[in-house]
Formats: sequence, C-alpha cells, structure tokens
Amino acid sequence: MNSIAVRASAETIPNTREKLSIRDLSFYYGESKALHSINLQMYERQVSALIGPSGCGKSTLLRILNRIYALYPNQRAEGEVLLDGENILGPGQDLNFLRAKVGMVFQKPTPFPMTIYENISFGVRLYEKLSRAEMDERVERALTKAALWEEAKDRLNTSALGLSGGQQQRLCIARTIAVKPEVILLDEPTSALDPISTAKVEDLIDELKRDFTIIIVTHNMQQAARVADRTAFLYLGNLIEEGPTSMMFNNPKDRRTLDYITGRFG
Amino acid sequence: MAELTMGTVEFAGRSNTLKRFIATDSYFRYLTRSAAITVLAILFGIFVSLAVGAWPAFRTFGIDFLTAQTWNPVTERFGALPPIYGTILTSLIAMLIAVPVGIGIAIFLTELCPRLLRQPIGIATELLAGIPSIIYGIWGLFVFAPFLQQHVQPALIGLFGNVPLLNQFFAGPPYGIGMLTAGLILAIMVIPFVSSIARDVFETTPSVLKESTYALGATKWEVIRNVVIPYGRAGVLGGVMLGLGRALGETMAVTFVIGNAHKIAASVLAPGTTISATIANEFTEAVGDLYTSSLIALGFILFVITFIVLAIARYMLSRLELKTR
Amino acid sequence: MTLYSWRLLRNKIWLGLSMGAGAFGLLWLVLILSTLVWNGIAGLNLNVFTQMTPPPGSDGGLLNPIVGSLVLTALAVAIGTPIGILAGTYMAEYGRYDRITFVIRFINDILLSAPSIIVGLFIYEILVVPMGHFSGFAGAVALAVIVIPVVVRTTEDMLLLVPNQMREAASALGAPKWFMISRVVYRAAQAGIVTGALLAVARISGETAPLLFTALNNQFWSVNLNAPMPSLPVVIFQFALSPYEDWQRLAWTGALIITVAVLSLSIVARALASKGVER
Repeated sequence: MNSIAVRASAETIPNTREKLSIRDLSFYYGESKALHSINLQMYERQVSALIGPSGCGKSTLLRILNRIYALYPNQRAEGEVLLDGENILGPGQDLNFLRAKVGMVFQKPTPFPMTIYENISFGVRLYEKLSRAEMDERVERALTKAALWEEAKDRLNTSALGLSGGQQQRLCIARTIAVKPEVILLDEPTSALDPISTAKVEDLIDELKRDFTIIIVTHNMQQAARVADRTAFLYLGNLIEEGPTSMMFNNPKDRRTLDYITGRFG
Repeated sequence: MAELTMGTVEFAGRSNTLKRFIATDSYFRYLTRSAAITVLAILFGIFVSLAVGAWPAFRTFGIDFLTAQTWNPVTERFGALPPIYGTILTSLIAMLIAVPVGIGIAIFLTELCPRLLRQPIGIATELLAGIPSIIYGIWGLFVFAPFLQQHVQPALIGLFGNVPLLNQFFAGPPYGIGMLTAGLILAIMVIPFVSSIARDVFETTPSVLKESTYALGATKWEVIRNVVIPYGRAGVLGGVMLGLGRALGETMAVTFVIGNAHKIAASVLAPGTTISATIANEFTEAVGDLYTSSLIALGFILFVITFIVLAIARYMLSRLELKTR
Repeated sequence: MTLYSWRLLRNKIWLGLSMGAGAFGLLWLVLILSTLVWNGIAGLNLNVFTQMTPPPGSDGGLLNPIVGSLVLTALAVAIGTPIGILAGTYMAEYGRYDRITFVIRFINDILLSAPSIIVGLFIYEILVVPMGHFSGFAGAVALAVIVIPVVVRTTEDMLLLVPNQMREAASALGAPKWFMISRVVYRAAQAGIVTGALLAVARISGETAPLLFTALNNQFWSVNLNAPMPSLPVVIFQFALSPYEDWQRLAWTGALIITVAVLSLSIVARALASKGVER
C-alpha cells in the first residue's frame, strides 16, 4: 500500500518545544461554520503540514494563525491559539506585532510594484532604521537564504515584475524572511509553479526549518510526505488525525485518513 | 544562523514602532473618512444654500411662481414657467434626436465597424464629449444658427405652412436662434454620452447568447434587435437618463442660441429661455433682493429636477452593474 | 417577396441606418472642429499670448485671461485632488463594505453630472456673499467642487482594481494599514489616479458657468485671488456675445486654445490609462 516516499529523518526527530497550541478552535464565515473545535500542536523548528481535500478548511486554519482574516468583516474565530503561551485571538493582541512574528507566503506570487531591492526592504523599513550598508547586507542575506541571490544580484534595481513565476515566489519568501519572523506560514506555495521551481522551493523549506517554525498547507500529499515532519489531516472542517509524517502515511489510525492517502477520495 | 532571528534589543525597538503605527492608523482613517463625508456635505450644502436663497421668492409668490409667465424686473413680478418650459422643451428635442443616433452609433461601433476603424471612431466620439460647452455655444451662434436661418428654417416654414396644427409649431419668422436651434445643439452635445454608455452596455452582452441566436439562422439585425438591445435595456435607459440630466443643466451651449425671451410660444422656431440661460444672463445684473432670490429659486428648481433624473439614471445603471457581476 | 428576402432587406436597411448614425456623429465633430480651427487660426498670433484684453476697437491679446485660467485651474486642482483621493481611499480601503460608502458613491455620481451653474450659485451663496465681493478664490473653490467627484470616482475605481492578494501580502509582513495603502496600493494604482486628475483638469478647463458669479471677470491683469479674476471661458463668453468684430475674433482664438488644451489633456489621460492596464 505504501507507494509514497516519506522523508528519511521524519521518524527520528524528537519533538522540540511547543510553539503553537491550538485549542478548541472554531471559525465562521458569516453564519456558516467552517472549522469545528480544532485541537492541534505545532513544534519549534519543525515543518508541520496541513492536508485534506478541497474545502476541508486547511487554508482557513492557516489564515487564523496570522489573523489575516481580520481584513474582512463577517469572518470570526472562537477558541484559543497560543503562540509561545500567549493567546493571539485575545482582545489585546496587536495585529501588526503578530504578523511581524508570523510571516506568510501566498499561493499566487505577489511581488509589489517596486524593484526587487525595494520589495525586500519594504518589510524591514517598517520596524528598523538601517544604514544603506546594513540594508544591503540584509537584502543579500534574505535573497541568499531564499536561493535567489545568484539570479537577482545583478538586477536588484529592476522591477520585481520582470521575474519568472518561480523567482517571484522565492522573492516573496525572501521578503518574508527579511523581517525576521519566528513562524512562516506557507499557503500552497508551489501550486502555481512548474516542477523545477517546486523542487527548488521544497529544498528551501528543508533549509529554512533550521531557523524557523514552518507550517505548510498543501493539496499535494506527496509534497507533504517530502517536506513535513508532522502532518495533520483535515476533512470538512474537522481535524481527523495528526502525527509524525511517517506514521500518518504508513500507519494511519483513522479509516478516512487511509482512504484519502490512497486516493479513494479527494 | 543567529542573524536571521530576533535579538532582544531589536524586539524593544519594534514595540515602540508598533505603538506609533496604531496612532497613525487611526489618524489616517479619520482623515480619509472626513474627506469622504465632504462629498455628502457638498450636496447638503448646495441644497440648503439654494433653499435659503430661494425662500424670499417662494414666500412672496407661493406656488404661483411655478405657473406664472411674467418676468418683469421693474414691477418685481417673476414667474418661472417660461424658463421651465424652455428647459424641458429643449431637452426633449435633444433627446428625441440623440437617443436614436447615439444608440445607432453604439450599434455601429460594437457590431458593424471593421476592427481597424473601431478605435479611432470610438475615440472620436469620446472627444466630442470632451469639447467644452462654450465651444458649442459660439459655434452655434456664428455658424449653426445662420445656417439654420438661411436654409433650414425657411424650408420648415414652407413645408408645414399649409398643414393645420403643425404650422403652429413651425411658424415663422426664421430668427436662426430659438428653441429648435438650442435643442439641436444640445442633441449634438448629448449624442456622445448616450453612445458611449450604450456602447459599454452592448459590449457586455455574452457572446454565447449572440452565437446561439446566429446559430438559429438569424440575421445580424435580428440578433441586435432581439438579444443585444433587450439584454442591455436597463443600462441604455440609464445612459439616456444621464444624457437627459446633462441636457437639462446645460448652460453655455444654450445661452448663446436660445434668444433669451421670457415667453412661451407655440412655435419651436421662436426664441425662448431656459433656467440655466436665464441665470447666466441675468444674475450679475440682478438688482434687488427679490430679483436675485427669484433667480436662485430657478436654480433650486433646476437642482431638484436634475437630482431626480440623475438619481433614476444611477439606479438603472446600478441594476446593470449587478447583472454583470 | 419571400419571408427570407424580406428579412435580408430589413437587415440591410437597419444596418445602413446605424452606419448613417455613425457618419452623422462624425460629421458634426469634423464640422465643429474645422470651423473652430478655421476661425481660431485667423486670429492666432504672438500678440494673443503677450498682450492683455483690449477695449473694443484696438488690438490686444488674451494674456490675462490665459494666466487667470491657469491660476484658477491650478488652485482648483490643488484643493480638489487631495480631497478626492482621500475620499476615494476611504471608500475603497476602510469603508468598502459600509452602508455609508454606498450612499457616498450614489451622491458622488449625482454630483458628477450636476449642472455646473448650480455649483456657481452655491459658492456665490457661501463665499461671495459673506466676503462681500467676487474673487478668484471663490472661482477656484467652485471649480474644485467640480474636480472632487471626478477624482473620487476614478480613485475608487482604480483602487478597487488592485487585487486583494497584494494587500494581504503587505499586511502579512506586519505593515499597518496606512503604510500598506500609501506604499503598495497607491503605487499599484498610480497611473489610474493620475489619469483621474488629468480628466478633472480637462473638465474644468472649459467650464464657464461656475465662474460667472464667483470669479466674475477682469479687464486688466490680475493674479489677486481676493479680487475678480479674468478667465478664458468667461472672456470668450463676453467677447462672443458682443457686437465688436475684433472681440469676436479673439473669442474664436480663445476657443481654439481651450479646445486644443482640453483635447490634448484627454489624449494624454487616455494614453496613461491604457498603459496602466497593460501591466
């Protein structure tokens, strides 16, 4: 039954400190309930994947973690999400502060209508006053970490819109890294990319998890198997099963998980 | 790689910045909201200031103001009927011509015109819409009116001279200027409005709809008549109302050629006046509070009429927007 | 005649009529522009731009009304454009789903097509009467009232075109709302917003009615905003209706100048708008 290649080290990573603790989380679009009492833990410097069929609520869940849903009226969350012990859904939570700690990369690459350099420095300039030399260094480091430096270093002052799709997505990743977050949320980051760019981004995720806690939503199970340390399976707004990736794919406890993984539905 | 994670000093600096953000955010929100409220304030201000300025005239003349025909600054008796009549008549003449021609142009541009010509002709019609009204005014006075006087009006008078009833509408003498001339100039001004909105509306007709009609063997005209026009009915009507609103309020094009006579005549060839032409011609020379107030009262009436027409237009066009969304 | 050939005939007739309509529309444009150019060029010489308006019977130019119009237009744009952009920003960014935005949009569209002579009366009542005299400032404010709805409309439309994803990406980096709007959204919509300002300028360049009883007119050189100020459209109005031939000639030339200015602005605005869309 097992035709999915799972990361070799997935079994052996001991659980590090708890970074995110989701407790009894429900979410509503207007009157309709999209998430039902989710309970889930995510650990520091690990890659946690959220998988499930279309409409199961995985993107919805991800977008709660940096409260980007707050941009829209009619959407509300109930329950608790603890980041390093503090509830980010609490009334006193500063949203900008939260988003500085929890970064997000979207499905469709969204370069700003500026030069490559300005795209990266945008977020940094919000919080820090750096000299030209310091900013140059920060930009270079972010682009290097995102595996884009070689391709971009000669065109830093040209428009970011001139990059290819895969390059633009890596630019968005570099932009997120430059702000020094602690958690990075990836919402189907490679679904709009070709296979070669996808492979580059997945290698990147492997590198990035040494410094950041990563949570990735993907509709591609094989991708989850390739990059994630832990995987959670959602279905119709409910968390069905969660655990180390190798266990989820080789030995799932729930029937529905097994059916999804073997392609019976979804 | 420690440099990519946050140090404690940076952390403190960030908190201060974030506090500043909250303050600036609410300031900016307040600023933009005030600017938006200004739009409402302007409309409200117009309504109130006109009502206040017109009050003396309404108080003196009562509802008779709307039906009286005398306009005599010397005896201080003012009646609004001739200007109101003129405004409505000239706009009516304008719409009678502009609507079919405007829709015709829109049909031509969307269905008939060869691709290459489409852009330039489309741009040309929109340029027509951008020409300031005073240009139409002086063109009307120096070129169009003499032309009508010498060639068209005598022909009209002669044509209907012996037809009972109609000869009242086209009775002499051929001044050149007058209601008909003003209506015609307004028509030329309104055509690009109607045509550009109608064109936008026709272009939203789904091609599947048209194709399935063609597939039944319909001719081009039959498709236009039975599919394109009915589909865009609300939008075209909205565009027509918009053009009407413009025609009702137009000042400069009309002032030059209307003749400025406070009279209601049966003939469209006779001079008359409109509300805006009256105000434009007489306001700066109005002596006496009642005179000024009567002029402002005219303005108030015009404002109410155009407000209603434009509100209806807006309502019809928003129905179209809902459809295409 | 068979039904089919009858249908074909009807088809030809109606299509011919609409082609006629197209030609009809073009005809007037050509006629008006050609007489304008013909009569306007006759009086066009350097004096027009260097000498002031003359009393009837002598030579002169249109210097003071041209300068007056430039001053009034510039001031009107300076007042009206920021208000318009800020209002459009509120409607697209902060209050997009609010009830009040719906009302403001409705009212704004009505103001957009409102008779400009009404605007003149309004400003007369609230500025000229309290001040006790006509002034260039009142004229500029009247023009600004016409600028505002145009800019509000184009700004809101352009901002609504910016994809939400871009706003989310900026917010996800922790950018506060005003930062996201000013650095990202405005940048993305800048071509459209500039187009709106240009269209507003083209619109007010030819407006006469709102100036008739606010800025009035001035025979002499004046850039004093606190006094009546000359403007090209009002001077054309006065000269064209006069019985003097040389005044009438100047009126044609002035009309030509305004039309060229308005048409070139419209063309530039259009070119900018299509460049924005290409991206």
